[in-house]
Amino acid sequence: MQVAVLSGKGGTGKTLVSVNLSYLAKDSVYVDCDVEEPNGLLYYKLKDTAQEHVNVKIPVVNHEQCIGCKQCTEFCEFNALAYILEKVRVFKDLCHSCGGCKLVCPQNAITEFDRSIGKITSGFYNETEVFSGKMNVGIESGVPIIKELLKKVLNKKKDVFIDSPPGNGCSVMESISDADYCLLVAEPSIFGLHNLKMVYALVKVFNKNIGLVINKCNDDDIIKDFAKANKIKIVGEIPMDLELGRLNSNGEIVSKYSQYSWLFKDILNNVYKEVS
Amino acid sequence: MIIVMPTKTSGEKSFISDHFGRCNFFYVYDSELKSGEVYINENKDGQGGVGIKSAEFILNKKADVLITPRVGEKALVVLQSTDIKVFASTDQIVKDLIVSYLNGELKELY
Repeated sequence: MQVAVLSGKGGTGKTLVSVNLSYLAKDSVYVDCDVEEPNGLLYYKLKDTAQEHVNVKIPVVNHEQCIGCKQCTEFCEFNALAYILEKVRVFKDLCHSCGGCKLVCPQNAITEFDRSIGKITSGFYNETEVFSGKMNVGIESGVPIIKELLKKVLNKKKDVFIDSPPGNGCSVMESISDADYCLLVAEPSIFGLHNLKMVYALVKVFNKNIGLVINKCNDDDIIKDFAKANKIKIVGEIPMDLELGRLNSNGEIVSKYSQYSWLFKDILNNVYKEVS
Repeated sequence: MIIVMPTKTSGEKSFISDHFGRCNFFYVYDSELKSGEVYINENKDGQGGVGIKSAEFILNKKADVLITPRVGEKALVVLQSTDIKVFASTDQIVKDLIVSYLNGELKELY
């Protein structure tokens, strides 16, 4: 089972929910796909970690062999190649590493080199297997790192909990691509509702089974009304609780504390019921 | 001398576009022939790197001068590797801007 935890708005509780669910689930996997600002490792403090770099292929043009036919610059959908003053120039930040320019070059003037764009840290926290991706500073897209992360958990016979990036952009789409179930986290505010609508529209396009967790619950029914109107199942409500917030902001996994563990056990049981 | 401007609408009475990469048209003026031509910006709806394509376009038009409110980072990399001079546009329409430039009233942008 693969559960993606996502929310339109940042700071809503994706990491809170995904860390605690993976902590409580037996023999599970936690994957931090929020590669721009990963914070799962603040909770899962790993002792022994393995690290590996994530590379993408970037074209290099041999100017001696190039005859200036411009087939590569015309082929590139992302305008990563431009023919300037009789030379093909590569803009590596725009390159999506499709390899097309190399294929269309009639002169075989294009080769590729590995560009490191980030790294993946992995390890075990008790029984929970933890993966966390992190993008290098200055890189424009974390999608290749997310792809690499998901490849690692694709064939796991364990329950996988994916901590998605915020928003509803390319990196979110990538992180939910293999998910069996999408768990949306929202907070009761106008901003929270607005971004929930955006992310709800996204998961509907992907035709995913979904459930909703309301975090920082108060007596405002703004999210509940939306859920009711759209027949979204509410699988959990986390109250606005100062002590919970304090523990969480200190990097504690709140499910270790008996007064909060039932909250997340409930959510986990509801998710299991929904998926089966 | 060839002077190029990104424009909102077509023709010499157009205002200058705020976006060098995503402008609707280019106005290409030849100061020797004292005549200008309008080109549609075919890359304006591209996903990214459209400023690079605009820079490539004006290079192909053998531009000497570009008059624009601003240039993006990537297009600037391209332009700085060439001899094209970039001047800051003012709130004038194309034909008035050309006069201003030729009178030396515009400031160099980069």
